[in-house]
Amino acid sequence: MIEIYDLRRIYRMGDIEVRALDGVSLEIEKGEFLGIMGASGSGKTTLLHMLGLLDEPTSGRIVIEGTDLSLLSDYEKAMFRLYKLGYVFQDYALVPDLTVMENVSLTAMLRKDRTEGQYRKDSVEILQKIGLYDRRDHLPRELSGGQQQRVSIARAMVNKPDILFADEPCANLDSENSRMVLELFREINEEMQQTIVMVSHEDWHKDYFHRIVRLKDGKVIADGTNGSSAH
Amino acid sequence: MGKKELKVAFLLAMRSLQRGSRSSVILTILIVAMCFTNMVFLPGMFNSIGQNITKQVVDYEVGNVLISPKSGEQYVTDLDATLALINGMPGVERATPHYSKAATLKYRQRILGVSLRAITPNDEKAVSPLYTKMISGSYLGDGDTGEIILAKMIAGDPSVKEEYEFQASLGGVRVGDSITVEWANGYTKDYRVKGIYSTGYWATDTTGYVTKSDMELVEGRPLDYADYITVKAKPGYSEKFIKDELQQYGVSQKVQTTTDLLAKSMGKALQSYAIINMVSLFVGIVITTVVLFIVITIKTLNSRKQIGILKAIGVDKAVIMHNYGFQVIILALLGIACGIIMTSLLMVYMTYNPIVTPDWSASLYLTPMDLISNSLILFVAAVIAGYVPAWQVSREDIQTAMRS
Repeated sequence: MIEIYDLRRIYRMGDIEVRALDGVSLEIEKGEFLGIMGASGSGKTTLLHMLGLLDEPTSGRIVIEGTDLSLLSDYEKAMFRLYKLGYVFQDYALVPDLTVMENVSLTAMLRKDRTEGQYRKDSVEILQKIGLYDRRDHLPRELSGGQQQRVSIARAMVNKPDILFADEPCANLDSENSRMVLELFREINEEMQQTIVMVSHEDWHKDYFHRIVRLKDGKVIADGTNGSSAH
Repeated sequence: MGKKELKVAFLLAMRSLQRGSRSSVILTILIVAMCFTNMVFLPGMFNSIGQNITKQVVDYEVGNVLISPKSGEQYVTDLDATLALINGMPGVERATPHYSKAATLKYRQRILGVSLRAITPNDEKAVSPLYTKMISGSYLGDGDTGEIILAKMIAGDPSVKEEYEFQASLGGVRVGDSITVEWANGYTKDYRVKGIYSTGYWATDTTGYVTKSDMELVEGRPLDYADYITVKAKPGYSEKFIKDELQQYGVSQKVQTTTDLLAKSMGKALQSYAIINMVSLFVGIVITTVVLFIVITIKTLNSRKQIGILKAIGVDKAVIMHNYGFQVIILALLGIACGIIMTSLLMVYMTYNPIVTPDWSASLYLTPMDLISNSLILFVAAVIAGYVPAWQVSREDIQTAMRS
């Protein structure tokens, strides 16, 4: 489903060259719940940004379902993100002036293959699933951090994306809310066969992943199923 | 850019205005409204002054068309025949002659030099509203002799000392008083003041009127000549039509429309007004453009992270750009609407409280076309001012935007 070939991302800060990703190659299968783990600065977020079309690699290729991402124009990338990908951010990243319902519906409203009735129905269903339907008319600031993150997941899931990316979604949450969010991801993955790629630096999160890729200094140092961590 | 994208852009814009900073929205609308008012106020004033002067010139000086002596001649001659010809022409309401003569007015200890005008009062009624401007006494009749009507400024105010007078006067002549008039040809006669008027037009308010019959006594012969003839057009007939007709009918005197005369006398003033109007318009547009540019720039800078996130979740940059574009459009429309309301209230206020000077009075004269054209200019300027920062920020790459 996702093929990554010799991916490199080099930042230049004056004379200094920082290799955020240094030759990463991976394959991610459909329906996997993949955890990308590593210490701060290991390149895990950079990798996620490359996969989510939020940044461009210095070299290497990413192919998602047969589409070479390097060949897409800006507009095609935007449409690829809209139709194929879902994204959950560390800081929820909800639009503060939109209600919960509007935040969840926002990207669905843009899709040409959805009628108003369809996206409303999908939004209601996903809000019911995450248990926030009764807060649908509230603004994000009126919700707790855990609730906001669940809304963020609902927004990412409403379009039924091929791949869901999550960038340290529990970083700002307490352990109870973190567990709730991880359970939600697991449920989505199991019930809907949703491919999920999640970045985390919390070791206890690994219990939720099918497969864990560990990065260090921009390189894959371990790749294996949960418990094995073999490469 | 499809309907769905525009709908999302509009939703984002509306929600940002509804749920963002109220004070910022209100202040921006107020600034646009004040800019609009600034743009139309001075031109409106100058329009009003121009309209007012034109009306006064038409009403008290030249009518719609002025017939004056041809080059090298002192008077319009063969007056009766000329008047008969003009008054018989289609489109002519009435033609009436004016004849002025210098005179010295004496009343008690006061002596005042003026140029008095001789008119045919009944014909004059069809041409000039002077007869409606009597503040005491009555207007002249055709056969009146030994009677005079004076401007209020000439009659004077007995409560104002001579040294404090703005304009020299007779110090408080009242209707029924007798004044002595010493004409330039030496003829001296006592006149009874029949009426006192005030028109608000300087040239008329610094003179007095006697009848043509009386002037014939002064001159000692029938007046078959005049300084000029004023012609009033019937409603629906243009000045140009009357002028062309007069020339076709063989009126050999100099024929000029009010527009011709004002173009000569007011040309420089109108040019100056136009320059001031342009400056006012330019300043208004620049202020609005800069203010909206700053407002939208601040908004976009404050929302850079959110813009990055919107792009990250698949919202196209055009939607983001139009979001800010719609915000500017809404702010500009509301500002212009408030500006129109403010201007309309000012128009009403100034109609009842005009700015009055000895030469002219001014309120605010704006046509619907003035309001529409200024609204459009301001709207276009506002949209450009808003779209430029919106376009700039929407082009920023996701990583840069999200890191901010």
